Amino acid sequence: MANVHKDFHGALSFGIQFLDDQYGLAGLEEFFTRAAKAVYATLIEDLHCRGLDALKEHWDTVFTLEAGGFETWYEGDTLVLDVRACPAIHHMRARNYRIADHFCEHTRIVNEAVCAAAGYACSVEYDQDAGRCVQRFWRAVP
Amino acid sequence: MISCVDYIYTYSELFKYLEERGGYGKVVELWEGIREEFLANLRDYVARDGLKGMYAYWSHTLGEEGGRHHMSLYDDMFVIDMHDCPSAKKVFREGRIEPYPKYCEHCPVLYPPLIREFGYEVEYHLIDCPSGQCRLVVRKPPDVPTPDDR
Repeated sequence: MANVHKDFHGALSFGIQFLDDQYGLAGLEEFFTRAAKAVYATLIEDLHCRGLDALKEHWDTVFTLEAGGFETWYEGDTLVLDVRACPAIHHMRARNYRIADHFCEHTRIVNEAVCAAAGYACSVEYDQDAGRCVQRFWRAVP
Repeated sequence: MISCVDYIYTYSELFKYLEERGGYGKVVELWEGIREEFLANLRDYVARDGLKGMYAYWSHTLGEEGGRHHMSLYDDMFVIDMHDCPSAKKVFREGRIEPYPKYCEHCPVLYPPLIREFGYEVEYHLIDCPSGQCRLVVRKPPDVPTPDDR
């Protein structure tokens, strides 16, 4: 069982705001694209080799560990992740941490970097204030 | 969402990125910002309960983060002996990312200046970063008022 210290969401949020203040959205894009390839190299390999089941397992593990309100399912060849209660947003709000202006953008950037590296594509529609999002993943057309 | 269990890897990558773009000073600027703006809960613990507040704060955070350590609380001193830091383990020993060599330097920037604001004397010894060993020593000076005097 992994150790769960949710205050790290607040620290990440501080880092995102710092990056945004220093280097703007282009800096966020550059940093998280690069970080995603390093931090999630194993997930990228797994997604490339096993397909969307690997990503579904990843999200099921993460959101169960963090006690988020979520559901994953397939719509044809598309994996859908419906986050109804984002554990990061809800924890930061409960602890009165500042939520970075573009906090949820890191999800889009990381997902796109992971998927692109593995031959997949994705989308995300988020409502940061509500702590909700719907993410979709599918195999990219070559 | 980057899970909190993946945060430490991202933290280390952020330090690398900031140093590449703005030098080590930019990394320190981030750490100082975290200390001044994010660690309000530690500041509250210390302001309210002094040395016992520090013990309570790190009991919570280190309890959640894992690792192996020993905390000592005396009437006039608080000590953390970190034997196997969970963050350093992730950064230096798991092989998942290329470590930021100065990763452990964030702790001496985050904690001693904050605690000194309350009148305490603080030492931070980074003993062996790759193996996750360090020591924080906080002393209450006999002639300086601190929250422990209330």
